Amino acid sequence: MARSVPRLPREPVTPTMEVSVLGIRHHGPGSARSVQRALQHLCPDVILVEGPPDADGLIPLAASADMLPPVALLIYRPDAPSDSVFYPFADFSPEWQAIRYGLEAAIPIRFMDLPQWHQLGQKPEQPAAEETENDESEVETEKDAPTPTISVRVDPLRAIAEAAGYSDCERWWELMVEQRTAADGGAEDHPMAVFDGITELMRLLREHTEADTEQPDAADAEREARREAWMRQTIRAAEKEGFKRCAVICGAWHAPALTGIEKVKVKDDSALLKGLPKVKTAAAWTPWTHDRLAVASGYGAGIDSPGYYAALWKSPGDIAVRWMSHCARLLRDNELEAPTASVIEAVRLAETLTAMRERPAPGLDELLEAALAVLCAGQTAQLELIQRELVIGTTLGKTPDDTPVAPLQQDLSQQQKRLRMPPEVNRKVLDLDQRKTTDRDRSILLSRLDLLNIPWGQLQPGARTGNSTFHEIWNLEWRPEFAVQVIEASIWGNTVQMAAIARAIGLANDKTSTVSSLAKLTGHIEMADLPEAVPVIMERLRNAAGVSSDIGQLMDAIPPLVNTIRYGSVRAKASDSVKDVLEGLLVRVCIGLQVASMGINTDAAKQLYTRIITVDQAVQILSEETLTTMWHEALQRTADTHSVNGLITGRACRLLLDQGAWSATDTEQRMRYALSPAAAPQDSGAWAEGFLSGSGLLLLHNDSLWQLIDSWISGLSLDAFEAVLPLVRRTFGEFPSGERRQMGERAKTSGAVAFSSISTVRVDPERAALVLPVLRRILGLKPQEAVG
Amino acid sequence: MSSVLREHAESQFASELSALAACDTAERPPNWKLSPRAVTTYLLGGKLDDGTEIVPKYIGSRRLMEIAVATLATDRALLLLGVPGTAKTWVAEHLAAAISGDSTLLVQGTAGVSEEAVRYGWNYARLLAEGPSDKAMVPGPIMKAMAEGKIGRVEELTRIPSEVQDSLITILSEKTLPIPELNSEVQAISGFNIIATANDRDRGVNELSGALKRRFNTVVLPLPATFEEEVRIVEQRSREMGRALRLPASAASIEEIRRIVMVFRELRSGITVDGKTRIKVPGGTMSTAEAISVVNNGAALAVHFGSGAITAADIASGLVGAIIKDPVQDKVVFQEYLETVVKERDGWRDLYRACRENL
Repeated sequence: MARSVPRLPREPVTPTMEVSVLGIRHHGPGSARSVQRALQHLCPDVILVEGPPDADGLIPLAASADMLPPVALLIYRPDAPSDSVFYPFADFSPEWQAIRYGLEAAIPIRFMDLPQWHQLGQKPEQPAAEETENDESEVETEKDAPTPTISVRVDPLRAIAEAAGYSDCERWWELMVEQRTAADGGAEDHPMAVFDGITELMRLLREHTEADTEQPDAADAEREARREAWMRQTIRAAEKEGFKRCAVICGAWHAPALTGIEKVKVKDDSALLKGLPKVKTAAAWTPWTHDRLAVASGYGAGIDSPGYYAALWKSPGDIAVRWMSHCARLLRDNELEAPTASVIEAVRLAETLTAMRERPAPGLDELLEAALAVLCAGQTAQLELIQRELVIGTTLGKTPDDTPVAPLQQDLSQQQKRLRMPPEVNRKVLDLDQRKTTDRDRSILLSRLDLLNIPWGQLQPGARTGNSTFHEIWNLEWRPEFAVQVIEASIWGNTVQMAAIARAIGLANDKTSTVSSLAKLTGHIEMADLPEAVPVIMERLRNAAGVSSDIGQLMDAIPPLVNTIRYGSVRAKASDSVKDVLEGLLVRVCIGLQVASMGINTDAAKQLYTRIITVDQAVQILSEETLTTMWHEALQRTADTHSVNGLITGRACRLLLDQGAWSATDTEQRMRYALSPAAAPQDSGAWAEGFLSGSGLLLLHNDSLWQLIDSWISGLSLDAFEAVLPLVRRTFGEFPSGERRQMGERAKTSGAVAFSSISTVRVDPERAALVLPVLRRILGLKPQEAVG
Repeated sequence: MSSVLREHAESQFASELSALAACDTAERPPNWKLSPRAVTTYLLGGKLDDGTEIVPKYIGSRRLMEIAVATLATDRALLLLGVPGTAKTWVAEHLAAAISGDSTLLVQGTAGVSEEAVRYGWNYARLLAEGPSDKAMVPGPIMKAMAEGKIGRVEELTRIPSEVQDSLITILSEKTLPIPELNSEVQAISGFNIIATANDRDRGVNELSGALKRRFNTVVLPLPATFEEEVRIVEQRSREMGRALRLPASAASIEEIRRIVMVFRELRSGITVDGKTRIKVPGGTMSTAEAISVVNNGAALAVHFGSGAITAADIASGLVGAIIKDPVQDKVVFQEYLETVVKERDGWRDLYRACRENL
């Protein structure tokens, strides 16, 4: 390939260095292939790539065998890692191919975009919650989209392809550029002719756009001008160094500005670049994923279909047959029917559709529509599978181990230093007192790392039960492989906090998340102190709850939410959303409780029993009148349903009595029914357990209830008595010994006569009044308050 | 004006079809009356070069119609799937009319359809008198379509017993129909194809066999895509039907129709219109057709028993009846919907109360 290359006269070239400008489409496999061919043809001695000069030192790492795209260059400020920019590269990115070519041929490669040291740190500080979003929009601006309004600038080639009636820009490139080149027998100067044509096209487009549309806002226009000035200066610098043949890889939009640069005065460019603010930046390679390349994940400058592009890159030429076979294999792997005959029919349909739409070749649209009608039998769920696995793809990149430290690691080290928790390989037990700030921060850090899949510390189960204790016992053990996990977690963010928030949101948005997993996540969030993630999780929880028909799950989700409201440091706004969701859950539980408690076995009843108790606590904590009424109504309905296990009806009666929703007479009536001889002794026993468990004082104070229990037990036949004895024993065994003794005494005299309830004792008001001052003092009340 | 109650598509839109044919310069598949493009235009409406206005027959996605037409052009059979009231039959009829100029070669699928109805039967008097002969044979609609190179239609394919369904397999793969009695066969000539419709709600009735399914390309026709579109359909249809029932046009106010359509769309999709809340979905179809009947029911109640203007109370009973098909599950779903959505919505208090009374 090494030969001096005669070329058609194009732009007047600089006398000392030949500059070939290769205007490309970012992440376009077609462009990548053309760049590959052009570079082999040009044999440049220096390659300039549109990218951040901050990362020049990292370019050689791209040659490493352990570097597998998709990867991204991360430029950030070491002092404020959240202020950062990502430059992603896929295997099919023209920039990546240019870098790989340069490294293999041992040619110097330089990035030539306006350095981030002049760009970062110019935005006012944003509140943490918005930063993740901000990052993404920044990436968009970074690539080459100064204004979101002009899509032509973002992807000028796509706009042209669409104007030419193509749904798929890459197919347009392939047919207009690659296949024609091949057809012409690959004359030796063709590889560059393509790029000259593009430069010319862009020149016209730029003139047209600039004349046609109103100017983007001044700051953006200025930034654009500076970027192009910097690119030109880089080219000039390369020339000064004595390079002879320079290849410039840049977004097509910039191509005209970099062609024939001797016409632009050096003075003007230096004036543009004078006095720019400067900050310190650092760069790192991080693994990237195909779905982060996709627009679908909110990454503005991304591409719709990285997986499809990867397939185009791997196998150029007619993709329809191969693509359909891929689809069929994917469906078969998922145990869906996809015979070969259908693959053939799908290809035929795609071709017919293309012909009907008068397009020259099937694009992704036609392929997917044909796959839907033939392979997926019209089922969109199956098409979504194809969309997720093939069109977008799930490939995860890899970076070599010796890449510079990611900012997340830096942030982690800083925090470890601050909290005096050096990462140690040997096991260590840490007792954290939540009342101390440092200990609390430690606990938060450990929880956040846990959320990021870095299980440095493990919380001992039960150490923080019921939130009543403020001690947490953690087992600490740092494992070397965590270093890798930290880099992997960098995908989520540059500080532990940001990454944890993004990860929590990611987990919440996972399609498989259920009510209980979301509720667990809420608990985790509370421990990790990430109020920013709460609204998203609540949104998801609300949706999941809306479609969940498992009342038990809904009931389980309630306690973590109540804890979040009670103990969490969530901000007022987030707390409102939690409350909202909690109320929604309660309403659903109230409606479904009766149906859910019917016809279940004893084990399920026990489970429901404990759940009812926790929900009741939640209702009491919330103490909202409407909710309480609704809950009481639900309990009443349940208590009066025949087919409900006695344990549950008993407890429902007790709760209603304790909370004054039912009078003693109401309760007596239910008790009489439940303990009547007609009821099976087992059921009555269960009812008594449900009603009485926890506290027996009630029996001592309410004579008629006592009478009912008493007459029930004494009325049991011997067999029946033996049957209920374990239940009754369990129930009464839980009571404090004092209560039990009193009951025993009462039972011994076996009758109510000896015991008069309080209401029947005659009180002498005058003598009683004498006790009041003492009582006041005991209760700590002021005299006037106690009156009345 | 013809005196028949309902004209076939090809005669009702004869002028449109001939205008399309006149302007149509694109290549036509063998035996097609129009090119695939022109067929799409016929379905979706548009204006021809000579100024003829083509009325849209199907309001919805162009993409779907293109897939349907392209399928027929690749000589694969077309299966139109969808819940009731999504214009499956309507589309099938118009496709047949546009492509073959004949929408009458129709097998109406029921549980009682026999193989003879799909293939051929016999004139028994003749059969007994003369023995098996071409004259004694009575060709079925599909056989006719094969012989003439036209589109045959099978309505409600999944209601046909499975063994009868499978008699289509030979027709679709071999494109021949053997007649063992005469020791002969009918070979389909170009242009023959089949459009089948099936209801994907009761797919379980007689699920298509894998072999048959593979011979169809499936196009799922969706319910109306937007709220406004559905309101327009409900409003127009209920007005037409109300006229037949002698109900004054003013009975059903547009506000009430909008509310009903909103309830239907929310319960159908399981998401509130503001997109904020997910809700459970009842077991019924919640089709547009049912929404129309709720409106009519309400209008009838209002006119005959009420004030004449439709109120929340008039629609509540119809609504409850349309939603609660399963007395236990659907009731829970509707209660949840009432408590979490209807109750909170501004100005819906009357509907909330009326529905609670009807539960």
